[in-house]
Amino acid sequence: MCMELQLGLALPGSDTWSRPLLKLGLYEDINVNRKKRGFDHGYLEDEFSAASFKNYEKGLVGWPPVETWRRKKLRCQVHNHMTAAENGYCGGRASNSSYVKVKMEGVVIARKIDISIHQSFETLTTTIMTMFDIFDENRRSFKLTYQDKEGDWLIAEDVPWRTFVRSLKCLKLIRSRG
Amino acid sequence: MQKEMAYSFPDEVLKHVFSFIQSDKDRNAVSLVCKSWYEIERWCRRKVFIGNCYAVSPRMVIRRFPEVRSIELKGKPHFADFNLVPDGWGGYVLQWIAEMAGAYPWLGEIRLKRMVVTDESLELIAKSFKNFKVLVLFSCEGFSTDGLAAIAASCKNLRELDLRESEVDDLSGHWLAQFPETCTSLVSLNISCLGSDEVSFSALERLVDRCPNLRSLQLNRAVTLDKIANILRRAPQLVDFGTGNYAAELQPDVFSNLAGAFSSCKELKSLSGFWDVVPAYLPALYSICPRLTSLNLSYATIQSPDLIKLVSHCPRLQRLLVLDYVEDSGLEELASSCKDLQELRVFPSDPFGVEPNVSLTEQGLVAVSLGCPKLQSVLYFCRRMSNAALVTIAQNCPNLTRFRLCIIEPKTPDYLTLDPLDAGFGAIVEHCKDLRRLSLSGLLTDHVFEYIGTYGKKLEMLSVAFAGDSDLGLHHVLSGCESLRKLEIRDCPFGDKALLANAAKLETMRSLWMSSCAVSFGACKLLGQKMPKLNVEVIDETEPPDSRPESYPVDKLYIYKSVAGPRFDMPPFVWSMDEAVKILH
Repeated sequence: MCMELQLGLALPGSDTWSRPLLKLGLYEDINVNRKKRGFDHGYLEDEFSAASFKNYEKGLVGWPPVETWRRKKLRCQVHNHMTAAENGYCGGRASNSSYVKVKMEGVVIARKIDISIHQSFETLTTTIMTMFDIFDENRRSFKLTYQDKEGDWLIAEDVPWRTFVRSLKCLKLIRSRG
Repeated sequence: MQKEMAYSFPDEVLKHVFSFIQSDKDRNAVSLVCKSWYEIERWCRRKVFIGNCYAVSPRMVIRRFPEVRSIELKGKPHFADFNLVPDGWGGYVLQWIAEMAGAYPWLGEIRLKRMVVTDESLELIAKSFKNFKVLVLFSCEGFSTDGLAAIAASCKNLRELDLRESEVDDLSGHWLAQFPETCTSLVSLNISCLGSDEVSFSALERLVDRCPNLRSLQLNRAVTLDKIANILRRAPQLVDFGTGNYAAELQPDVFSNLAGAFSSCKELKSLSGFWDVVPAYLPALYSICPRLTSLNLSYATIQSPDLIKLVSHCPRLQRLLVLDYVEDSGLEELASSCKDLQELRVFPSDPFGVEPNVSLTEQGLVAVSLGCPKLQSVLYFCRRMSNAALVTIAQNCPNLTRFRLCIIEPKTPDYLTLDPLDAGFGAIVEHCKDLRRLSLSGLLTDHVFEYIGTYGKKLEMLSVAFAGDSDLGLHHVLSGCESLRKLEIRDCPFGDKALLANAAKLETMRSLWMSSCAVSFGACKLLGQKMPKLNVEVIDETEPPDSRPESYPVDKLYIYKSVAGPRFDMPPFVWSMDEAVKILH
């Protein structure tokens, strides 16, 4: 194939470079999705990394081309369908319950907390810490994370309260590192 | 001199004649006849459609058309629907509202698609336009129920409020109660996107009660099945209805109440909603099924046998949206029951699963193409396809105007022959002479683009992903598709050559999107310099494009024609290639 540049525009460089075209980079997803801030790999457990990327099995953003809102609505329903979901059903509060499961790293038994009585991260975190008998001086070594409706694990205080409550599925208290 | 005057009409006569001309295309043609027609026409144009909000500035629109009553604006590129456009890209409506607030006191209709609408914008609308009638926010975001409360409270003659597919910050369901008791003018209300658990149902009931002209109502998921009957009995004149939740424990009295309520709606032609469907409640619809022309079951996770039963009761169906739970067997039933079918959309229930979870293949679509001669519009997600099937579909349905096929795994070949699907899609463009919109998928070489360029003369919108071998592919499309307006490409080996060789073509199109392709930064700069009528924007969230060699490919590229010049609201990750805009770091 030989093509003329009809406008007489010339490229400064050569055109023989090559690069992988199918971006399978999971890192691209972290960078692209600003709303969900990425987390250091050395910071959280592998479990979180895996869960966060399960939506992008091939690391392809936006493929297959199903609208984001449609995907979210469908995922909520499929979860409702599959009653054995260990994290409770998505949008549990849609069935008039404001109770959300709370787990703590290293503790087998999960607890439940009524999210509707809280207006801020401070009261929520305090209540949860108390629930798991973590006292003042130790509180700094824990971080509150949550799983949102899309299955991603995020740091609770990274988003505004309203966004957090709207997309919250369940909570987990983890030890912070570094 | 006298001869000229004898042939000219007074302005009032021309104005009257022009008032019968509604379509934009015709109005544009009228305005080109001569200077005086241009002048008369611009003063009496009442409706303006702007397909790209950055193609023109509000001031320019206002200057040319001083008496507009209705405006429609579109913002983000289509691929924003699939998360390819980063947050903060743009599409803000506020400046438009602010300028129109001063210039168009009689503005009555605002329709927006893929734009960022803030509560401030909504409050400004509520305050500024005394005759406001229609607000459609299609796939918009950035606002909350507070903004909606302002609209409800202030717009005394509101006829339409349609929030379809928008992302609304749900602060409280009480905004609905803001509609004053004197508001009786609603014709259409679509709140299906709202998530709020506390949609004030009593406010909704009272609103429906006092609006006798309500024709179209789409509820949100929080409205439970037992409440549907209450609403329907208050609005038996409904033509278009979207249920909320369609799940409840089967109780005979609830069922018969619901069935009775539906049967009292003699005008009902279109149904949607159906979240969380309990199949046992579907027979409540049977009385209205014979009249149904449109059915949206795309959220209904019901299985094929139940879908078949429902669809077989709807012989007049023209439009069906459904999940792939319908399976080939369901589509075969559709093909035999619904001879009037014009539009079919089949969505994937498990888009990220590697293995097929349902028995839906190319056979289903082939069956529909055979049984439904009026088929015009197809959107189909599946996991396998063959050239033979595509050829059959093309031959059966020469009247197709929209054909969007998504084979879920990229680069999937013909499952029978392992060939690329070039011939199949080639048959589609060759046989379907009125094809306006096409989306490709599967394994495709440059040949498919040769077919498209040769036969796709009426093609206006083309979506391409993971296809082609070289610049020749893109060149075929840009040089051959005479009617092309929108081209969106992702993950294809298309680079500088085709783009630069066809630069002039870009000025005849609305927009071009290319992401994860092979267009170099240097080529983008060149285009930006040489083509002043184009806005060439490079999107890169990781680092500035000029921090790398010029031959390095850009991540995302969005090119659109504009008379407004480069935009002022670009976020840090969008770079304009306009010469006048210096890249500042």
